[in-house]
Amino acid sequence: MSHNLLTVTGLTKSFGGLKVLAGISFTVAPGEILGLVGPNGSGKTTCINVISGLYKPDGGQVIFKGQSVTGKPLHVMAKAGVNRTFQIPKPFKGLTVKQNIEVVQHRQGAFQVVDNPLEFVGLQKFQDRDASSLTSGQQKLLDLARALASGPEMLLVDELAAGLNPAELVEIARRLKHLSERGVALLVVEHLLGFVNELTQRVIVMNAGKEIFEGDLDSAAKNERVVEVYLGQ
Amino acid sequence: MHLLFIRKQLENSGLLRMGADRPVLLYTLVSGILFGIFFGLMGLGLNFIFGVMKIVNLAHGDFVMLGAFGVYLGQTIWGVNPIISLLIEFVVFILIGIPIYYALVPRLLKSRDPEMLSLILFFGFSQTIEALATMAFGNNPETIDATLLGKYPFHLFGQSFQFAWLVVVLVSVAAMVFMYVYLYHTRIGIATRAVMGSREEAQSSGIHVHRVSALAFGIGLGLAAVAGGMSPFMLGGIFPTMGVDLTAMSFAIIVIGSLGNPLGTILGGLVYGISLMLMQTYLPSWSSMVPYLLLIIILLVRPSGLLGRRVRHA
Repeated sequence: MSHNLLTVTGLTKSFGGLKVLAGISFTVAPGEILGLVGPNGSGKTTCINVISGLYKPDGGQVIFKGQSVTGKPLHVMAKAGVNRTFQIPKPFKGLTVKQNIEVVQHRQGAFQVVDNPLEFVGLQKFQDRDASSLTSGQQKLLDLARALASGPEMLLVDELAAGLNPAELVEIARRLKHLSERGVALLVVEHLLGFVNELTQRVIVMNAGKEIFEGDLDSAAKNERVVEVYLGQ
Repeated sequence: MHLLFIRKQLENSGLLRMGADRPVLLYTLVSGILFGIFFGLMGLGLNFIFGVMKIVNLAHGDFVMLGAFGVYLGQTIWGVNPIISLLIEFVVFILIGIPIYYALVPRLLKSRDPEMLSLILFFGFSQTIEALATMAFGNNPETIDATLLGKYPFHLFGQSFQFAWLVVVLVSVAAMVFMYVYLYHTRIGIATRAVMGSREEAQSSGIHVHRVSALAFGIGLGLAAVAGGMSPFMLGGIFPTMGVDLTAMSFAIIVIGSLGNPLGTILGGLVYGISLMLMQTYLPSWSSMVPYLLLIIILLVRPSGLLGRRVRHA
């Protein structure tokens, strides 16, 4: 029996004539952090969108805890234990920061990932403010807190680091590692390789919807194909 | 036609007679506020549906019309008090709205341009309702005796007004209070506001977006029916083709207030009501242009509506 939490097999997705995912496959174990990196347009966010249920795949399978969850909508995935952050978060305007978390339906039987999601991301002091008054960096942290509030076992993190300052990056990396230590698996899509390096050594490099490398970051940096497509050298 | 009726009401009040001794401006403003509160109710359901689903229900006025005929038939056939009819209609239209939502809206939302497609789809739906209603009720305007809601006038600021107007205002305020309590003090209402903020993030929060939206659609139609049930007492004769005018009026009201903000509709209704009454009193021949003039002015000066925070990308 596989000990993988998430198994993605041959995932494909096209928009019109453009093939954005061309059969990507990987696995994530419980508590593991997997980095998904690649140049713009390589299909990283689409991969998260398909796994999380925002888009239905054209082909391939998503297996979570041994069950096929392929094409299940976002709210079903959230209740199953897979949640995500958004590259451009849209907090619930008109609701306070605290209400943004209270509205989240904690899935039944889920363990409490963190006691207080707002405190975990450092937004406790803003809890009574309208969510739309937060800065874009704070909105990303609120989005992370919202995802954590449902009690996920698998967290898909889409470019969380963009917009955060260096001190915030170090702090958020420390907290994401803490989540991993508590058994939450993370799939981290990221442009900032330094941030990924803080989190994990296991990365998949994507290009044109396909995996072109899997291994540790140091090896990726020396891989000729990765250097060619990702660094443009 | 409805504007003519409102003008007739003002004439009957003696307001428009030359040399009338009552303070014309005060009467006009108070009438405007009373009608404005009712107009707020008229736009509430349309704006709620737009706010939650980002679709324009062009059949809104037709549901208002059906609500009006519901009260009329209840009264003339079974002798049911209009207020009792309203309560029944509110529940019945919610129950009708839920299956209509599931039949139409999820397909719309999957399309690339749901807002545009909703205009076409609900226009067709509106025409269908209108045709069926014409077959069922005929083309002659029907009226309800306004004294059913109270025989004696009520007085405000030294002016006397029809008692029915007071009842309509109270019903409208009750509907607005219901919306406020629903949206701000119930769990499903807060989830509805989350869906209004972002459907995708709401889904990711485990909220069953279709369930929340279906109920919102039903409530939107229920509110339209309540506005319809009160319309014979404010707008006069009811007839199957009245829906188109009422949709245009409601659309103007919600754009003035703030598209997508249900409580902004109240402000839109007041601005519309007062403007209409001022025009009826001082420039009656121009009054039928009020909804369109206000629409143009608001879109030019403040496209996000009076309560809007930023320009919409609708």
